[in-house]
Amino acid sequence: MQPSAGVLFAALALPFLGAAVAPVVYRLLGERTAYVAAAIALTCFGLLATQYGAQGSVSLPWIPALGVSFTLYLDGLSLLIGFLASGVGVLVFTYSGGYMHGEPGQAKYYATMLAFMGAMLGVALAADLIALFLFWELTSVASYLLIGHYQREERSQYAARKSMLVTVAGGLFMLVGFLLLASVSGDALPAHTFTLIGTQGSMLANAAAMRHALEARGLFVPVLLLLGVGAAAKSAQVPLHIWLPDAMEAPTPVSAFLHSATMVKAGVYLVGRFRPLLLSEEWMLLFVALGLVTMTVTAILAVGATDIKELLAYSTASHLGLIVAGFGVSTVIGAETGVFHILNHAVFKATLFLVAGIVAHEAGTRAIEDLGGLRHDMPIVAGITTVAALGMAGVPPFNGFYSKELLFDATYEVAAHDGGLTWLLPAVAVFGSVFTFLYSIRFLSLFFGEKPEGLHAHRPPLSMLAPPLLLAVVAAAIGAVPQAAVDAIVGTAVQSTTVAAVHDVHVGLPTALTPPVLMSAVTIGLGGVAYPFYDRLHRGVRRLRAVSLVSPDWYYDALLAGANDASDLVPRHLHTGVLRTYAGALFAGVAVLVLAGYAAGAVVLPAATGLALSVPTILVLLVAVVGAVAVGRAPSHVAGVLTLSILGFMVAVFYVLAQAPDLALTQLVIETLVLVIFLLVLDKLPAFYGEGADRRVAVDAAVALAVGVTVALTVLLATGATPADPIFTFFLERGGVPAEHGRFLLDFGGGANVVNVILVDFRAFDTMGEISVVSMAALAVLTLLGMRERGESQ
Amino acid sequence: MSEREPTVIARTVTRTVVPIILVTAIALLLRGHNLPGGGFIAGVLTVTAFALVYVIYGSDVVERDLVRVAPSFEREFPGAADVYGATFAAGLAVAAGSGLTAILLGHPFLTQGVVFVEHLPLYGELEVASAFAFDVGVYLVVVGALLTIISVVGAE
Repeated sequence: MQPSAGVLFAALALPFLGAAVAPVVYRLLGERTAYVAAAIALTCFGLLATQYGAQGSVSLPWIPALGVSFTLYLDGLSLLIGFLASGVGVLVFTYSGGYMHGEPGQAKYYATMLAFMGAMLGVALAADLIALFLFWELTSVASYLLIGHYQREERSQYAARKSMLVTVAGGLFMLVGFLLLASVSGDALPAHTFTLIGTQGSMLANAAAMRHALEARGLFVPVLLLLGVGAAAKSAQVPLHIWLPDAMEAPTPVSAFLHSATMVKAGVYLVGRFRPLLLSEEWMLLFVALGLVTMTVTAILAVGATDIKELLAYSTASHLGLIVAGFGVSTVIGAETGVFHILNHAVFKATLFLVAGIVAHEAGTRAIEDLGGLRHDMPIVAGITTVAALGMAGVPPFNGFYSKELLFDATYEVAAHDGGLTWLLPAVAVFGSVFTFLYSIRFLSLFFGEKPEGLHAHRPPLSMLAPPLLLAVVAAAIGAVPQAAVDAIVGTAVQSTTVAAVHDVHVGLPTALTPPVLMSAVTIGLGGVAYPFYDRLHRGVRRLRAVSLVSPDWYYDALLAGANDASDLVPRHLHTGVLRTYAGALFAGVAVLVLAGYAAGAVVLPAATGLALSVPTILVLLVAVVGAVAVGRAPSHVAGVLTLSILGFMVAVFYVLAQAPDLALTQLVIETLVLVIFLLVLDKLPAFYGEGADRRVAVDAAVALAVGVTVALTVLLATGATPADPIFTFFLERGGVPAEHGRFLLDFGGGANVVNVILVDFRAFDTMGEISVVSMAALAVLTLLGMRERGESQ
Repeated sequence: MSEREPTVIARTVTRTVVPIILVTAIALLLRGHNLPGGGFIAGVLTVTAFALVYVIYGSDVVERDLVRVAPSFEREFPGAADVYGATFAAGLAVAAGSGLTAILLGHPFLTQGVVFVEHLPLYGELEVASAFAFDVGVYLVVVGALLTIISVVGAE
């Protein structure tokens, strides 16, 4: 069925409207704004739920003249992401009501969170690449603001900057990929378009044609890599994962919402969306490698974590790697892995982050080694954590087990099919999963075992307990009856990410001992055996992290420090305070650009057909040339200005000889004015020029020559152009007074001076602009120079 | 401004020439539509006259006698800059106003027309162009802006 336009646009617009009024609501309701925000999120969830089962696109005409319309597309995958964004949003906002009690900056917090939710819905629903990119970057900006919530803390500033730089840089790579896709769409599709999905002429509807066009132009691998970088940056894949652990500076509800359930899922959503378009050998190589490496490396790093949120951050990156690896495998099982794990991971990871927030709030510390035996104080939370952590570990019958099993299944199939080096894939998958098991059990053990001395934990309030409880119930339900979850939402979403048609997706507890089941058993077994040695592993990983050569963090910091040092060079060489630098750079730059433009356009100079000048004109121009040479050789300012005036006056005489009296008059008055003004400043300048350094004189001469050549070429090319229907015939016909006329004359210029008629009548609007600019220049001089003494030196 | 006193010759020549320059400028403004001239040229020539007075006589004379404003040290703007500022603002207003008048009469912005006034005693037929109002606007802008720049820079 076709989705309803009103519902979709309302669901998208509502969070933004909420963000706009959030400060006002905060002024009225104070901390209860959280529940208003939760109500908005619930409304969005409800609106999307009414569209359950719909598939299609809706659009709003935006600029009908250019054929631009704002299009949204709904299908299983976008519905899944939309549900996650709004559903987890409801719970996070409710949780914030308790967590953010007494914290500063709450109005900004709720406004930004609502705007983020809207942007995430936009990412999920956008049908064309421009809208997708817009909402993508909006989520980055919202994330920046939220990570830097504690504005005055230096660590928050550092973390926010890092996340912004990494994700936005990735986004730029992705944008280039999008532009390449759009430019190729001109070849492959009926019309050049930015539309990704939804219409007949969209890229995904004509995937095979797009692919041929990309390969024909040799752009397939570049586009794949560019999109891969964008997705990797957003979803914290190695080596662009560095921003995620630092992002834990944000308040915990932000971490639960953005950095586990939604924003980081945008990258894997992109991977899933483009999978039908770009699935190929290269795709599989890139994403399986990226995913499995990330999964393993970050799982090892998670074992080395000392802070509960740090552990969860690395774990998020690891599970995202799992999803990417799943999407990387070219079989349908791979797609199932990816989509199912998007759901499972969001559910258990958001739960665990909320639990981490509860622990931090009630026990007062986030350090792993200081925590333990919390089940005595928070039994319900302990139960919640058991469900979620065992799901994270991949232990049956919890939800994470099924998607991990699908990964093992997918990698085993590939290895059995291709053999040889591909046996690495299941091996690495198992290796990474062992570490996943280890850190998950470590997190769980915070609630069991002995309680350290001096640790006091309170019971959490209901507003903080209910959300993770609800999520844990959902996780347990998925774990108990996974087929229901698959039939409900995952099945249709998988269809969006596959090329071939999908038959029923089956998940359930394993009934036979197949190799993938063996892999799971081996994982759990090895994990159980290795767990007693956790501390030694932990210390080993920490020692490894300290080696700067293998730490991407070190490279990031070094790059930034280098960039800062390099940018210090700029003022030293560019802002010297000497007029020569500015003038020289300006002239040289303009000359280079213009000449480069001519060269790129392969312009042809009009051929010289002989000398059409009369003798007086030649004499006048010769005197001008002599004047120009004299300017170069003038020893003092007075001589320089006087010889420059000779040049100007000769040009004016040339205009007279060329029968352009208006131009000649203008040239004459300007020359006179310049000469008179020069007398104003004569006293302040030294009488004679000094000796110029040879190098400086040479540079000046080169710049002057370049400018001269540029202007000469421009004049030649401009006058050599002969359009078919020149406009001057129109001006000459309509400029004057016609023979027969009545009292009033509107259609004709009515003047004999066609230059003036053009200035004030035909092109009056241009003149209007020019006098505005002149006024602005005068204002600028007045304020910058004239009002300096008043102390307006901002 | 200048430590050297301008010579008697300079002062006398300036005193004679400046009114001639101003009259020429106005003449160029009035005849711009049909003969070489126009608002911009007239404006620059007017500024030349003022600049000459600035150079030869000094800014005090200009402010006190020509523009008739209080001396510099009592004002927040250097020289007569606020008067000049008012001038170019007035010019912009006149130019825009002449364009808007066309809208009031039901034509697109900045449409110009010509009226032929007949049966005048000496001239016979006179052609009055609405473009003249726009030209006056341009003239005022040029005069005001350039004088602002000169007075500010000259006061440095």
